[in-house]
Amino acid sequence: MRNKEPALDDGEVEYEAGPESCWGNFEDDDVMQQQFSIQDDEAKKFPFVGDKEPLSSLAAEYQSGSPILLEKIKVLDQQYAAIRRTRGDGNCFFRGFMFSYLEHVLEAQDSAEIDRIKANVERSRNALQTLGYPELTFEDFFTLFLEQLEDVIQGKETSISPEELVLRSRDQSVSDYVVMFFRFVTSAEIQKRSEFFEPFIMGLSNTTVEQFCKSAVEPMGEESDHVHITAISDALGIPIRVVYLDRSSCDTGGVSVNHHDFIPAAGDLPSARGSSDKNNPFITLLYRPGHYDILYPK
Amino acid sequence: MQASRARLFKEYKEVQREKTADPDIQLVCDDSNIFKWTALIKGPSETPYEGGVFQLAFSVPEHYPLQPPQVRFLTKIFHPNVHFKTGEICLDILKTAWSPAWTLQSVCRAIIALMAHPEPDSPLNCDSGNLLRSGDVRGYQSMARMYTRLAAMPKKG
Repeated sequence: MRNKEPALDDGEVEYEAGPESCWGNFEDDDVMQQQFSIQDDEAKKFPFVGDKEPLSSLAAEYQSGSPILLEKIKVLDQQYAAIRRTRGDGNCFFRGFMFSYLEHVLEAQDSAEIDRIKANVERSRNALQTLGYPELTFEDFFTLFLEQLEDVIQGKETSISPEELVLRSRDQSVSDYVVMFFRFVTSAEIQKRSEFFEPFIMGLSNTTVEQFCKSAVEPMGEESDHVHITAISDALGIPIRVVYLDRSSCDTGGVSVNHHDFIPAAGDLPSARGSSDKNNPFITLLYRPGHYDILYPK
Repeated sequence: MQASRARLFKEYKEVQREKTADPDIQLVCDDSNIFKWTALIKGPSETPYEGGVFQLAFSVPEHYPLQPPQVRFLTKIFHPNVHFKTGEICLDILKTAWSPAWTLQSVCRAIIALMAHPEPDSPLNCDSGNLLRSGDVRGYQSMARMYTRLAAMPKKG
């Protein structure tokens, strides 16, 4: 290897930092390795996807906190049976969405839904190709997602149980790949409809649509915002409800919890899907500023 | 590990197939280790690196492509975003802005683009960065050209 190097004067090939600069030895690579090891330590504290917990566990977090939040949690408690937490690693939206969707498919065993989602996945694949992404950069992520989708269909040798789905969602080699799959799908949708998304992106980050996707959608750990949620919901034709738990309150005295439904753009919905159906999201995420967890309606 | 190996093998095949597509980049995988690569890149024209050939060393982590490859210059280069002693490169896509949408080949292209468009405000080589920041373009260019001649060009005679 070294002998192929362009010729140098003797003594010029000295790339290790000398002892005179101890900070010179501590480089970005080291910083990044340190960051990865901190992430590993965090990982041991909380899995990518937690167990189902009653909403009382949420209330316990705010015991000495804002009374508005405790009131709101009481309201939530009437509507929702459980919460499933996700790790706060910047991927929580996609991770929660992944688990919630696959769990839904596993429970519903709706073959029409599976065909529908597969068709949308292929549309995303084509969109990435059209945008000029080399196939090898994204195909492994697509394959892995489609495998998970196949495996939640019951009655086959490869079928998995709900418990196994939890385990896979905690296994980095599956979980991160599916999250990355969703990031590719989101990026493709935003770029495909860049005229639609551009004003929202300008408001968020003042960059071009392409730059936004490269820096805020595709890299793992980049947090999701309205733009991401709108795009993934549209791209896959999956409605998503986001329930907001924050300190906002209304002056009339009563406490209510706001939510927003992301309903896929009509054009992307298959005609077979009834209008009442599409207004009824089967994925519900609880948003607290900076974080998403999964909610289970009663 | 298995996933990274499979991905790197695809990249390897692509590099073989597209060998002539990008004459400025020659990317080579280590004979015995698919996680070690080297590249020879041509200094971009109309820059002080023109005419030079620069060697890069890639070390690919186990979690590639979820994590970025580590890349450094083996050839000495005078550039604001390259550490003068270690060859370490300051480039966002090799750090926080990395995503699996990049390949070793496109990383090489990004490094060539960085050579042509230095970012003096995030310097790893402060001397070089300060020359540019103080507007001494000529000073920066002559230093960079000198090191290109010393380190990145084959010696005559």
